[in-house]
Amino acid sequence: MRPFIALLAATALAPVTALAQEAYRVGLSGALTGPAAGSYAPAIEGLQLYIERLNAAGGIDGRPVELIVLDDTGEPSRGATNSRRLLGQERVSLMINASLSSTFAPMIADAQRAGVPLLFASSACPAEVYPPAQPLLYCSTAFAARYDSRATLDFVQEQAGTDIDLGLVAMAIPLSRGEIEAAEGLARERGMRPQAPTIVPPPTADYTPFATSIQQAGADWVYAWAPWVTQVRTVEALRRLGWEGNYIAWGHIEAEGELARLRDANLYAIGANSLFSENLPVHQDIRAAAAGSTYPADQMAEGWIAGMVVEAALRAAGWPADGAAVNAAMQGLNVDTQGLRGGPIQFTADNHFRATQYYRVYRWNGEAVEVVRDWQAYSVE
Amino acid sequence: MQLIVNIVVLTSIYALVSCGYVLIYRVSRVLNLAHGELMMVGAYLLLVTAGYVTNPMVAIPLAAILSLTMGALVYLLLMRRMTGESVLAAILTTIALGILLRGLIVIFFSAAHQYPSVPLGLHSSSIQILPGARISTLSLVLVLVTAAVYGSLFAALRLSRWGLRMRAAGQNPLLAAQRGINLHFIYALVWGIAMFTGSVAGMLISLDAGLDQTLVLIGLKAFPAALVGGLDSLLGALVGSLIVAAAEVLLIQYVNPLLADVVPFLILIAMLVLRPWGLFGTREALDRV
Repeated sequence: MRPFIALLAATALAPVTALAQEAYRVGLSGALTGPAAGSYAPAIEGLQLYIERLNAAGGIDGRPVELIVLDDTGEPSRGATNSRRLLGQERVSLMINASLSSTFAPMIADAQRAGVPLLFASSACPAEVYPPAQPLLYCSTAFAARYDSRATLDFVQEQAGTDIDLGLVAMAIPLSRGEIEAAEGLARERGMRPQAPTIVPPPTADYTPFATSIQQAGADWVYAWAPWVTQVRTVEALRRLGWEGNYIAWGHIEAEGELARLRDANLYAIGANSLFSENLPVHQDIRAAAAGSTYPADQMAEGWIAGMVVEAALRAAGWPADGAAVNAAMQGLNVDTQGLRGGPIQFTADNHFRATQYYRVYRWNGEAVEVVRDWQAYSVE
Repeated sequence: MQLIVNIVVLTSIYALVSCGYVLIYRVSRVLNLAHGELMMVGAYLLLVTAGYVTNPMVAIPLAAILSLTMGALVYLLLMRRMTGESVLAAILTTIALGILLRGLIVIFFSAAHQYPSVPLGLHSSSIQILPGARISTLSLVLVLVTAAVYGSLFAALRLSRWGLRMRAAGQNPLLAAQRGINLHFIYALVWGIAMFTGSVAGMLISLDAGLDQTLVLIGLKAFPAALVGGLDSLLGALVGSLIVAAAEVLLIQYVNPLLADVVPFLILIAMLVLRPWGLFGTREALDRV
């Protein structure tokens, strides 16, 4: 509890903290508070810890990185205010969005006006970062519209063939609905029998009515691509109704802890991040940095990866690092994720998402979370 | 049969939450727009007590008593100062209180999704109660608790001396005060009971589904149920909850799940147009708003 108060205080004071003039200045607008904060605040803390560690190790060529973090509570108006402040007053050379997609439009417009690159980190990757990418917009977040559903349906097909009734679950937000509606089309193309998507509103007191509709439609498998709370509450409600089918959900930052909590062998999580149970050196680094932090280390991978991208971009840009220099550097970036992902994050002039997206599938095997299918690569074209 | 069970459970959730709106409005004529936040605070109080006492039979009643006390303190330390002020000032005060509570919750508990059921060792299994109809054990508890709360409130308001005083304070506070009823005590008691019932709803929901700030939005979804039934009628809250819950469940099943989010408010608008005081509310009471 106390570290979080310190974190908030540091966040509030960060913009007025006078770091050395020669610091690289990076600004972040994210949902630190508000209803959606649970999905973003852990990643933001992970990024802060990465930058602290980087600075403690001497920064970049002796210059520290100043990370200015502003809370937008997931509201577009605050996102707009924050981006103007970061660009106008704080004069950052790289801006980061870690918030709901409703905050994207004003930040994109401001970043493009100012010629400063905007990195989406832990927030959904907007269509503009995929080939052919728009200038100045980049994304390091794990999930990827269309590719996630392709990979998921490939896995389902491997496991059960195509003679299945497939339930589909989304949250009533444009991104989630769009992906699940695309999955419905993909499933039909493969010869599966997809149900009409079950769209669950964000504030839902009881998920059982939604689960009843899926169960009574006779789903063998259910695919959910939505914020974690919608995915997991729906499968819990299905289980309480006695449904024994297979359920595959996107492996958000909460997945590792939740798979262990639910202990359901027929619940699969597909994701692009490795789990901390693998205990790679990078996982150990994150655990060490996160000691005493507000959020668990296993929810910080997205923020840590964003930190890797920021460091690589600033190193490649050199000094002085204005927006144009950082943008030029990011167009040829190749970031070694040290095992946090299945491969590197590579940006090109035309592709600001990554050249290859890797997926793994996990589930609880009765004793621990196990890898059901190892990294599978998908070229992003 | 499963649909009937689903309707009963959702009705119970909305009814348990909305009775707090009704109690406060009925007795003190204040529309408490911080009720969702107070309900969330009650659930977080359970998280706190569960951190100290892992026996649910102790932790839950302890959190409920703390909620009751906190509700009374909200009145004594804050809302009491609104006495004699305009209705609008009192409503705005509750909005400000809600914003304050949301901020404090993030500072002290973070934005992470948490599970009070884990330290308490509670696991919600399900049971078959009718052919082809299952219910989770915690949902069953919620239905029973709602029945007990409404039964107790109906009995207390009609049969007990304190209930009579509460009704008197609600009907004519000036006359009630002249008859020696301590209005501030009555109001504090009502705020305490309202937070108690809301908190119990929040606790049971969070034991079943976990806890984060979105619980506030569930509190808000119960608001149309209270208005549809009539803001000054407990029976109305029950019937309003049944109407809203039945509409939601049936639309999810037979029309489009997306409508579940919209329809409570459509019913509310229709009710405000046709009968602004609600099904069981009194016209006089709403004229004051």
